[in-house]
Amino acid sequence: MGVRRLTPADKMYMTLNYSVLLLFCATALYPFIYFLALSFNDGYDAMKGGIYYFPRVFTLENYDKAFSNELILNSFYISIARTLVVTVASVFLTALLAYALSRKGLPGRKYIVFFFFFTTLFSGGLIPTFILFRQLHILDTFWVLVLPSLYSFFNAIIMKTFFDGIPDGLSESARIDGASELSVFARIILPLSMPVLATIALFVGVGVWNDWFTGQFFIQNENLQPAATFLNKMISEASFQSMTSSSGNSGSAIQNMTETQMELRGVTPEALRMTFVIIITTPIICVYPFLQKYFVKGVLVGSLKE
Amino acid sequence: MVPKGVVIPGFEQLKKNRKLNKIWNFRHIYLFLLPAIIWFLVFAYYPMYGIIIAFKDFKFNLGILGSPWEGFKYFEQFLNDSSFYDVLRNTLSISALKLIFGFPAPLILALMLNAVMHKKMKRVFQTISYLPHFVSWVVVVTLLQKILSPNVGLINDIRYQMGLDPIFFMGKPELFYPLVIISDIWKGIGWGSIIYLAALTNIDPHLYEAAEIDGAGRWSKLFKITLPCLIPTIGILLIFSLSGILNAGFDQIWLMQSPATLSVSEILDTYVLKTGLQQGQLAYSTAIGLFKSAISLLLIVAVNHISKRVSDVSLW
Repeated sequence: MGVRRLTPADKMYMTLNYSVLLLFCATALYPFIYFLALSFNDGYDAMKGGIYYFPRVFTLENYDKAFSNELILNSFYISIARTLVVTVASVFLTALLAYALSRKGLPGRKYIVFFFFFTTLFSGGLIPTFILFRQLHILDTFWVLVLPSLYSFFNAIIMKTFFDGIPDGLSESARIDGASELSVFARIILPLSMPVLATIALFVGVGVWNDWFTGQFFIQNENLQPAATFLNKMISEASFQSMTSSSGNSGSAIQNMTETQMELRGVTPEALRMTFVIIITTPIICVYPFLQKYFVKGVLVGSLKE
Repeated sequence: MVPKGVVIPGFEQLKKNRKLNKIWNFRHIYLFLLPAIIWFLVFAYYPMYGIIIAFKDFKFNLGILGSPWEGFKYFEQFLNDSSFYDVLRNTLSISALKLIFGFPAPLILALMLNAVMHKKMKRVFQTISYLPHFVSWVVVVTLLQKILSPNVGLINDIRYQMGLDPIFFMGKPELFYPLVIISDIWKGIGWGSIIYLAALTNIDPHLYEAAEIDGAGRWSKLFKITLPCLIPTIGILLIFSLSGILNAGFDQIWLMQSPATLSVSEILDTYVLKTGLQQGQLAYSTAIGLFKSAISLLLIVAVNHISKRVSDVSLW
């Protein structure tokens, strides 16, 4: 861009642009600030209204109660365990798949790629998947939270594209020196691929952390509920209380929860929900900004080809 | 090179051996593929095989193969079911509205971000805009429900201060689509802008310099350089979102709908879940699911074919 003097029209346009963007960012952030304020405010005081961005009657009670409630804590343990296991396993397995697909001259590669690619175009759908889980006996076990989330062909393609960009010379010379495929993969490819591994780890990790569906429909044991599912049950219970009836979400766990929430004297169920939202969102806010540079590239690769 | 008609003893055998040799050389790679192949066979292909229960009177104790055939009974059943057409209409309406209002939003954001010269500011704006993408729909709907709650929610709180009566926003069918569109844009706009921002950085700056020398203003540069350069990107994204027209967004709709809004909010995916998992009509639900995925497959193949011919860009 040349050094051009800004005309008044330019200046006006810039000001307008900045104002709209600032307003936009405020809209993106505000709901979280609103919840943050409510989570640090006394629940009964909050019922009077008027809290918009800062707590009025400051308290740590909500967090105290949330962190001492066994059902809530347990749901976070499940989510943390699930996220760690799935992320580590999935990144490793996806990298293995991507490396294999990126090997030039692999006999039958076209057919192998199609075998995987077809699953992104067509799927068995909900009920056949449910029948599969039943036949595998993984319904209502920790496995149903792990196994179905291990692979995504989309992620494999992002990794493969990254591996394709690594010069062949390095791995070729290692192979000539007698290195096995496994050591080329582990000693040369993986160390050079940290950006893409981090990106996929983020995508997979956020995906399972946020997944409420599996816990809602494939898990009945309350002690195996992931946090996102727990939050969903909290909100359906809320709409159950405040309005007509819940949107068809099944009953028993909700009833139990109402009882646990009754025990939490001094804390309103609503304040607890606000607190829960803040707790479940915090890990995400702490991670994604640091990987921005990498995942932006990942998105572009994923949207390009194959 | 072997001239035609000349037979070298063992040549075919040699060729075969060479191929086998090559496969043998890649044996470790096939081993790397093995876990993925097993996983996709079990978790992706086995459910596809399970689709045949759409044509059967499925009983768990009889299994997929053992259950008696019913032919197209369930397809006839939903095609004769008037609520199926309501569901289809809702699905298409929501998708169409998302396309009309939601599709241009990331493009506009990208253009605005692109006009920010201050590098650091631009990065901060971007980071904030990605936040809603990374939180779960459960969180988004919780935020929405609280903000719109008749029970000291933000909006009704403000209305109360102004002396107005509270409104139960989430329970009004006529407000359901606007809320779906707004929350969808709120969640997806930043993430969607990434691809446009990249396309914008690929535009040759000389084009703008030349246009400036010719005295082009801000708007004529936008309409005569920027947008024409973005047409391929816009076209591809548009074409592929058209092929997803039967996906109205399961998570969002399921979490936002309530009995009061069911007449406008029931979509194919939520209907499949309710008839299948909640009412136990497994075969019927599978038939509807198959209807949906078959049409989606046809759409994406067709759309890819068109895109290949028109613009040379394709998915495969």
